[in-house]
Amino acid sequence: MESSDEVAVEKCRVHLRPGTLRDAACATLHLLPCEVQVNGPAPVERFFTPAIRQGPDGLEVSFRGRRLRGEEVVVPPGLVGYVTVMEEKGEVPVGKDFSEGSSNEDEREEQKLTEPPEALERDFDQFFGATASFSRFTLWGLETIPGPDAKVRGALTWPSLAAAIHAQVPED
Amino acid sequence: MDCGNGARARQHVFLLPEYLKDASKKMKSGLIFVKLVNPCSGEGTIYLFNMCQQQLFEIKVFKEKHHSWFINQSVQSGGLLHFATPMDPLFLLLHYLRKTGKEGKFQPLNQVVVDDMFPNCILLLKLPDLEKLLRHVTEEKEIDKKKYYKYSKEKTIKWLEKKVHQTVSALKTNNINVSARVQANAFFSGDQVSSEEDYIRYAHGLISDYIPKELSDDLAKYLKLPETSASLPNPPSKKNSKMTAAQKALAKVDKSGMKSIDSFFATKNKKKIGEISNFGK
Repeated sequence: MESSDEVAVEKCRVHLRPGTLRDAACATLHLLPCEVQVNGPAPVERFFTPAIRQGPDGLEVSFRGRRLRGEEVVVPPGLVGYVTVMEEKGEVPVGKDFSEGSSNEDEREEQKLTEPPEALERDFDQFFGATASFSRFTLWGLETIPGPDAKVRGALTWPSLAAAIHAQVPED
Repeated sequence: MDCGNGARARQHVFLLPEYLKDASKKMKSGLIFVKLVNPCSGEGTIYLFNMCQQQLFEIKVFKEKHHSWFINQSVQSGGLLHFATPMDPLFLLLHYLRKTGKEGKFQPLNQVVVDDMFPNCILLLKLPDLEKLLRHVTEEKEIDKKKYYKYSKEKTIKWLEKKVHQTVSALKTNNINVSARVQANAFFSGDQVSSEEDYIRYAHGLISDYIPKELSDDLAKYLKLPETSASLPNPPSKKNSKMTAAQKALAKVDKSGMKSIDSFFATKNKKKIGEISNFGK
């Protein structure tokens, strides 16, 4: 009886393979100021990367004809960035060819269909592995540099604050 | 064309503590995501558990509208950034201790931490130094070398007060602007002085994300924080898009001064929590 309980409990767990954290190769990440409604391969190195220029006060590039301004963001000390992927288990990821884009009026409809990506919990009882690691990424803003007020920068202060909230307090 | 590894699969971008890399060298699988009760809302929330060193991490997701990732030669919609940060397991244990505490009896821990909804709560019993932790929030008795615990509100409030002060120090060293109420004035005078009370109120708000509302109210009274309209749930922030930047900045001012952790992640996860409830079938 005890063992069958264990099995049930086991089902509620997603495993992250520790070995993959050590072997993950360095990746290049860009955080874009727009929603691309697709998950899949994209020829970033062909169209995006070569167009990046060092402007007078930051990086510049254009994407779909819009001017982006960017800056490097460093992962806070003590942390490492990882890109993780669920190991395949018959799951077909949503996503279409990059070239199709999605600039039509049905965009909202489509968003509903492709929204699940954040649902970490959907894929329980599975294995995660890190495919890449990173220690910095490029943060892009539309027309202007995101700057110190960018919300993601606020989020990056979280780990140091969380450390204080969760540190053990001294006993009396 | 080289599309990179697994470029078609859904990719999650994580920030993990560096030491996890070496932590589980010996084990094939030592890091697991589990669903446990959220001590504030009582709903299911995903946590990361390091089986090797018996550590609990909470997962927070940064999510802002209109973002996507380019990851090597691939695109990932959503632009989510997941944070895994160490979590004090006492917040979770407190959820169970308070529940059984109502019976007013001394009980062994394995009868306290019981949960049909979230059976993974048994992982909490394996944490190291559990006895030391529990001393902060319980009265204990030892009979035949077996420990029995009873929730103590007085001790808990004192423990929480220490947490608040600990957090206040971190807010100060991190230069986090807590003067939400002063901010509107500062807007015009350029003068931003945070009072000690602002810090305490802000820290109280952060801690309140880990304890039930009732306890948060008791803590506020204990800390002698003046009552505010903050007891109302956060108003839905449907802002008028026609507002000027200045108006927006003013609208952002949190009149209660209480700061929820959600504010660090630009989104509220309220809706998502509901979706998880059918989990574990």
